[in-house]
Amino acid sequence: MIDGLLSGLALVFQPWAFFLCVLGTVLGITVGAIPGLTGAMLIALTLPLTYYMAPTEAVVLLIAMYVGAVTGGLITATLLRMPGTPSNVMTTFDGYPMARAGRPGRALGLGISASFIGGLVSWVFLFLLAKPLSIWATRFGPFEYFTLILMAMVLIASVSQGSLVKGLIAGLLGMLASMPGVDPSAGQPRLTFDWYMLNGGLKLLPVLIGVFAVSQIINDILELGKRVERIEASSRGLLMSLRDWLRHALNMLRSSLIGTFVGILPGVGASIGSVIAYTVAKNVSKTPDAFGKGSESGIVASEAANNATVGGALIPLIAMGIPGSVIDAILIGALMIHSIQPGPTLFLTNGDVVWAMIAACLVANFVMLLVMTGSVGWVARLATIPRQFLLPVIIVFCVVGSFGLDNTMFDVWVMLVFGLIGFALERARYPLGPFVIGFVLAPLMEEKLRSGLMMTAGSITPIFTRPVALVFLIAAVALLTWSLVSEWRQRQATQQTGKSH
Amino acid sequence: MSPSVDRRTDIGVALGLIVICAAIIIETLDLPPGTFEPLGSAPVPRTTATIIILLCGLVIARAARRPASAGGNTGESGNAGEEGDEPANGYGHALVTVLLTLAYAAAIHMRLSTFAVLTTLYLVATIGWLTGFRPRLLPAIAVTALVVGFGCQYIFTRIFVVDLPGLQ
Repeated sequence: MIDGLLSGLALVFQPWAFFLCVLGTVLGITVGAIPGLTGAMLIALTLPLTYYMAPTEAVVLLIAMYVGAVTGGLITATLLRMPGTPSNVMTTFDGYPMARAGRPGRALGLGISASFIGGLVSWVFLFLLAKPLSIWATRFGPFEYFTLILMAMVLIASVSQGSLVKGLIAGLLGMLASMPGVDPSAGQPRLTFDWYMLNGGLKLLPVLIGVFAVSQIINDILELGKRVERIEASSRGLLMSLRDWLRHALNMLRSSLIGTFVGILPGVGASIGSVIAYTVAKNVSKTPDAFGKGSESGIVASEAANNATVGGALIPLIAMGIPGSVIDAILIGALMIHSIQPGPTLFLTNGDVVWAMIAACLVANFVMLLVMTGSVGWVARLATIPRQFLLPVIIVFCVVGSFGLDNTMFDVWVMLVFGLIGFALERARYPLGPFVIGFVLAPLMEEKLRSGLMMTAGSITPIFTRPVALVFLIAAVALLTWSLVSEWRQRQATQQTGKSH
Repeated sequence: MSPSVDRRTDIGVALGLIVICAAIIIETLDLPPGTFEPLGSAPVPRTTATIIILLCGLVIARAARRPASAGGNTGESGNAGEEGDEPANGYGHALVTVLLTLAYAAAIHMRLSTFAVLTTLYLVATIGWLTGFRPRLLPAIAVTALVVGFGCQYIFTRIFVVDLPGLQ
C-alpha cells in the first residue's frame, strides 16, 4: 500500500497534475464560498473539460475541487451568515455570531484548522480501509451487490432531508430515469416511446448538470433580493496557537471520526455529518448554552466533520463502486466517462487512478490549508460578485458542458428538462441526492439482479441463503422499518402538539 | 423532518409523477419477455414505476389530510439553512430567466447565429432583466456579455478545440 501511495504522490506532484490540484482546490474554495454555487455543480460542469485529460489528471482535478468546495463554504457561513454549501449550515450558528462579535479571523482560523484535521483523519481511514475493503468486496456475487445497493438506496432515502417517502420516491425516480434506451441485457430498446433519440438513453452528465446546476440557479434567482450583512475578513487570530490545538484536539478528533463514519455510509453527505458532530459536541460540552452564540467548539465540530466526510465517502466509492455522497456519484460518472468501471477490481484494473485519487485527497488538504490561510480575504471578496451577473454565465457553461458530451443539442434539452424537474422536486421537498444516486446505481443494481437470476435460473433464494446478502437485506428492511416508525411517531407527536394548541 | 410544503404543491407534483409512471407502465406492456434470461426488460421499470405510484398515493393521502392552512411558504426555500421567503418578484425573475434560457437553447438549436452572438444577446437580456436594466449597469453588462460570449467561443474552439452549439 505504501508503494501505491508513493506512486500516487509521484503522479500528483508532476507539474501539470500538481497545477490541476492547486487549481481545483482554489476553484473549489471559490465556488464553495459563493452561496448558491455548490461543489456538485462545479464538478458536474468541469466533467466535460476532463474528457481531454488523462484519467489520473482528471481525478486529481475533481478530488481537489471536492476538498476545496466543502471547505470554502465556511467563509460565507462565517462572514455573511450564508452557508456556501449546505454542509456549512452548522458553521453559521457559531461562526457568524463570533465574527459579529469582532473576531472573524478567529472564527475562520478555527474553521480552517478543523477542516484540515477532519480531512487528514478521514484520509488516514481512506488509505487504510479502501484496499482491504475492496479485496473483501471482490468476494461479492451479484446477489450481495444487489442487496448492498438496495441497502444503500434505503439508507440514502432515510437520512436525506425531507420525509422518507419523498426520499424513496426521489431515489426510485432517479432509477427510472436511467432505464430508457437499449436494455444492455436483452439488447432491445425500452421506454423510448418510439423516439429514436432515446435509444442511447439519458446520459449522466446532462441529467447531473440539470438536476444540480440548473435547478440550483433557478432557486438562487428566487432569492436574489435577499440582503445580507457582510463582515470584512480579518487575518487576526487566523492561526491557532498550540494551546488552542490542544484545547480543541478531542473535539476535532471526535468530530472527524463522526464525519468519516457518516461519509462511509452510502449517500449520506457532509451535511448530516456536520449536524451529528455539532449535536454530539453540544451534548458533551460543559457549556452547551454557548452553542449558537459563537461557540468555538461548534465551529470546530461542524467543520472537522464536514471535511472528514470527503475521505470517508471516497472509501465505498473506491472499494465497491458505491457513491458515499452526491459528489461521489458524479465522480463515478467521471470514471465511467474515461471508460473506467468503478468497483472492487478498480485497484487491479486502474491502480494508478485509485492511488492518484487517494494521494490527491491528501495533497489537496494541504493545498486547502495554505490557500485558505493565505487568501481568505480575497476569496471572501469573490463571494460578493453579484449573482445577477454570475448565474446567467453559469447557464451558458451548463449549455456548453451538456453539448460538449456528444455534440448534440438533445443533451442540452435533457439538461434543461431535468433542471426544471429538479426544481419542481426541490420545491416539493423531494431530496435530489437520492435521485442522482438512484440514477447512477440503478443500471448496476439491475445488471446484478439479472445476472444473478440467470445464474440461478430465476430463483431469488440465494438472497436468503448467502450470509452477506442476507445481512444487507436485513439491514435494508430494518432501516426502512425504523425510518418509517420514527417518521410516524414524529407525525403523531406533531399532531398531538397541534391539537393541544 | 421537512418543513411542510404547500398542500397543492405536494398533490400537484405527486399527480404529475403518477401520470409519468403510468405512461412508463403502459410503455413496458409492449416489451417482450426475456428469452435468454428469466427477467426480461420490462419487470424492473414496471415494478419501480408501480412503487412510485403507490408512494405518490401516500403523499397525496397525507397532503389531503393536512389542514389547508398548514404549509405555505414556510421553510420552502431551496437552500438549507437559509431563512425567509423569496422576494415577491423572485418568481417573475425566475420565470423570465427560464423562458429566455429556453429561447436561447432554441436559437442555438436552430443555428440562427453563431454561439458568440447568441450568447452575448442572451447574457445582455438575462443579466439586464435580473438587474432591472439599470442604465448605470448597462456598460458592465455589455462588457460581461461580450467577454463571455466571444471569450468562450475563442477558448473552447481554439484552445480546448471543442465544438460549440450554434452556427459555426
